[in-house]
Amino acid sequence: MYLGLDVGGTHTDAVIIHRSGIVAHTKVATTHHNLLECINQAFKNVLTGIDPSLIKRVNLSTTLTTNAIIENKCEEVGVLVSGGPGINPLHYSIGSQYYTIGGQIDHRGTEITLLNLKQLEKAIKKCRKKGIKVFAVISKFSTRNPVHEQYIQQKLDDADFISVGHTLSGNLNFPRRIATAYYNAAVWRLYNKFSHAIEESLRELGAIAPVNILKADGGTIPLHVSRTVPVESILSGPAASVIGTMALCNITEDAVMLDIGGTSCDIALFADGAPLIEKDGIRLNTHNTLVRSLKTKSIGIGGDSAIKVEGGTVTAGPQRLGMSMAEGGHNPTIIDALNVIGTINFKDTERSREGMYALEKKSGISSQDIAQQAITYALDIIYNEVMAMIDEVNARPVYTIHEFLKGKVLKPKTIYLIGGPAKTLAHHITQRFGWNVKVPQYAEVANAIGAAVARTTVDIELFADTQRGRLLVPNLNVNIRIPQHYDVDNAIEDATNYMMQYLESIGVDEKEREIEILQVYSFNMVEGFETTGKNIRVHCQVKPGILHQCRDILKI
Amino acid sequence: MKAKSTLGIVFFPAFDWAIHPLHPEREERLLYTLDQLNEEGVFDIEGIMQYKPDIASHDDIMRTHFCFPDVAKVTTESHLISAGGTIKAATLVMDKIVNKSFALVRPPGHHAMKVVHGARGFCNINIEAVMVEYIREHYNVKKIAIVDTDCHHGDGTQDIYWHDRDVMYISMHQDGRTLYPGTGAIHELGGPNALGTTINIPLPPNTSDEGFLMAMERVVVPILKDFKPDLIINSAGQDNHYSDPITNMNFSALGYAKLTEMLNADIAVLEGGYSIQGALPYVNLGITLAMAGLDYLYVHEPDYSQKDLTQDKEITKYIKRVCDQVMKRYEECKKPSFKLMPGNYDVRKKEIYYDTDNIREMQLESIMVCEECRGVLKIETTSTVNPLSLGIEIPLDACDRCQKEGYRLLDNALSGDRYKYVQLIDRRNKKYVLY
Repeated sequence: MYLGLDVGGTHTDAVIIHRSGIVAHTKVATTHHNLLECINQAFKNVLTGIDPSLIKRVNLSTTLTTNAIIENKCEEVGVLVSGGPGINPLHYSIGSQYYTIGGQIDHRGTEITLLNLKQLEKAIKKCRKKGIKVFAVISKFSTRNPVHEQYIQQKLDDADFISVGHTLSGNLNFPRRIATAYYNAAVWRLYNKFSHAIEESLRELGAIAPVNILKADGGTIPLHVSRTVPVESILSGPAASVIGTMALCNITEDAVMLDIGGTSCDIALFADGAPLIEKDGIRLNTHNTLVRSLKTKSIGIGGDSAIKVEGGTVTAGPQRLGMSMAEGGHNPTIIDALNVIGTINFKDTERSREGMYALEKKSGISSQDIAQQAITYALDIIYNEVMAMIDEVNARPVYTIHEFLKGKVLKPKTIYLIGGPAKTLAHHITQRFGWNVKVPQYAEVANAIGAAVARTTVDIELFADTQRGRLLVPNLNVNIRIPQHYDVDNAIEDATNYMMQYLESIGVDEKEREIEILQVYSFNMVEGFETTGKNIRVHCQVKPGILHQCRDILKI
Repeated sequence: MKAKSTLGIVFFPAFDWAIHPLHPEREERLLYTLDQLNEEGVFDIEGIMQYKPDIASHDDIMRTHFCFPDVAKVTTESHLISAGGTIKAATLVMDKIVNKSFALVRPPGHHAMKVVHGARGFCNINIEAVMVEYIREHYNVKKIAIVDTDCHHGDGTQDIYWHDRDVMYISMHQDGRTLYPGTGAIHELGGPNALGTTINIPLPPNTSDEGFLMAMERVVVPILKDFKPDLIINSAGQDNHYSDPITNMNFSALGYAKLTEMLNADIAVLEGGYSIQGALPYVNLGITLAMAGLDYLYVHEPDYSQKDLTQDKEITKYIKRVCDQVMKRYEECKKPSFKLMPGNYDVRKKEIYYDTDNIREMQLESIMVCEECRGVLKIETTSTVNPLSLGIEIPLDACDRCQKEGYRLLDNALSGDRYKYVQLIDRRNKKYVLY
């Protein structure tokens, strides 16, 4: 049996799936002030009448780190940055303790200028004086040569935690690396307290299964691994929905997923059945990060989005001002509008009408019209955002003639609709898009199902430079010598082996170690008219998706 | 960070195309530029967007060039994508999606002339010219300035716009007496219908930031002010860099950024530049930041030393003289001095060597002297790969006489068997036909 739990903006959902299918599911209100409370409640509910020791695996997706970052409840971090020439690193200042240190590494990984030790010592001294215990250490091009980051790390021997840039991602992007390392350190303590509490709770309930945390790319990592990379747990909610949709529907074509919840609507895209991945990483609080994610977009339209009438114009969202009137709230919402026009018959329909009538009195527009216009407004926003997202994907840059000529154009004509209000909205969505709309069984807890069945994912970037004789896999901390005759086949083999070893070390089942090579480049480096070496890059991953065992259970 | 002027970057490094594995124009050329731009997070800056190139059609090429035997034989897909990249850069600006754009594409194009038999100076088709003609066909733009800052004289672009008075072509380059292709002297000022709309600023070897910026200030900026173009295009070659292996100049990334700021071009198109590790990443970063109106003062090369790159006083003096002479000639062109009789042909005989493909070409170029329009153009060409062929161009704003003359030439050519191939470019009716 597998337990999946997803903390959402409005509800926290949990499911247990078993060989016979979905055996239990629950939905409780999210307690934002204390996430542990709703999580424990959901655990209790879903485990009622089930022997907790039969649970093989617990996967959870939580908004803890996301909220801490958005609400600025982070710990102060000492950020030590070695930038070198280029864009002035002061432009990327983050947090209150940001220090730039002289030193330069170039795009090949050559150390051009040594670290400025005086500046470094001064910065560390200042941080210590302020009582700072967690640090983020970042240097430009550290994924080509981590020597500056490693040196600074050594100097911080008394820190509680150090977030080191190159270990978080093999991708190039210095500003993103700064933000990622900063957030990782800023939520570290909070996250570790939380993960400890979760383990306690599960133990008290009698569940002894390993716990995994969902990531934004739709994969999981073991809880113990996530303790040093808590930033990986940000914005994993939409990814849970995507994996859940994949688990419940056999998607093979270009498609759109809409997860309509109480507060927001998440959009994701599929190309030939595979969810699209964000090339660089997720954006959070105006900062871009290197946290890999599925390509999703969250918009402020959901069942509980408040309806507003201003100057004869009816709008809805992006705020949620509590529940619908039908459920005892105080502001008319999209759910109330659906009640008024008769699409649904949800709880106290009389109160929905009363709410809409209050708006009618204020604006002079009839209740029916307000309700209709609010729904049209919400559907238009969803439609426009979906179209903009498809256009953006289709305009994505390509770098080779081969890619250009073989360029796939995304042309979805199917929508998979999940989330609380999915069933009631299906008809409206069909009308607005004119596409084929499918609502799977268990659509209302698809996200928790997604969390339950998600497999562990890892992605690595291997970088080999035969002229310098170095091979690096930055986020696995591999940095070794290679011979002159090292070639692209060796690189692919090495990337696969390093990945295998890593997956084994974190306890991933042999059957789940499906490695996929995403990109291979090999360039001849020439000086004068001589080939001096090869510059090889291999990017590979364990594809986000559904656990093997679960595929059988869900009969897909 | 937020760009002061929005910038669209069309980045197409063609990671799977090379002239030859050891040739400077090879797969690796824009690799480190991409690494640098990615690591600096340039594409995350608000207001800087990255776009996919378009692919140029054969009509897009035939609107600009006479290709013999045909477009397919002298281009590969990479050329069509590179030209398509410039077209994308143009439409981004013309459709007001962005304020400015930078086509970081390869292969380059500024040595490709009006007639194409193959590759010269690593260029098959002139990607700037293809872009300019695309703009003129699809948008209402009359006057365009192309400022070529590549170290080599842009003899191809000069050739294409030699007779075009609505395109101001200004090239600053290492003096042709010391570098390929050898042309670009001060007295090369344009054909009889377009005198003074070709400007050449030959700079001596070892010119530093000071000299380039002086030429900008004393020549380029005043002439642009005088010409009042609707659109400025920068042929942004980066081989003036002090580390470039095939030239002898001392320009730096910071200097390129300053030049870019002074020029304030609407569209930049990458041309040459073969110091792919030591220069391109930094120069491209500097140009990008300058175009977006962002702080570039922190951009410099790992081995940058201002002291080593200080310009010799004698060189400064020499460049001053060059600037004065160029301006004197430019002013002289405005005087109603010696003029040919309208309705007559002005004829040039040209010999062209295609160094990349080892082709020799002989041309007889005739332009109708015309006061009303740019004049009908006729080029008879024969080369080591093609028998005698003919190109006829009726220009965009052709007067009735030149239009009629163009078709008369075509009828004559088609009635005999003198020419193996005949191409007509009829800009008035948007007809591009190969017979």
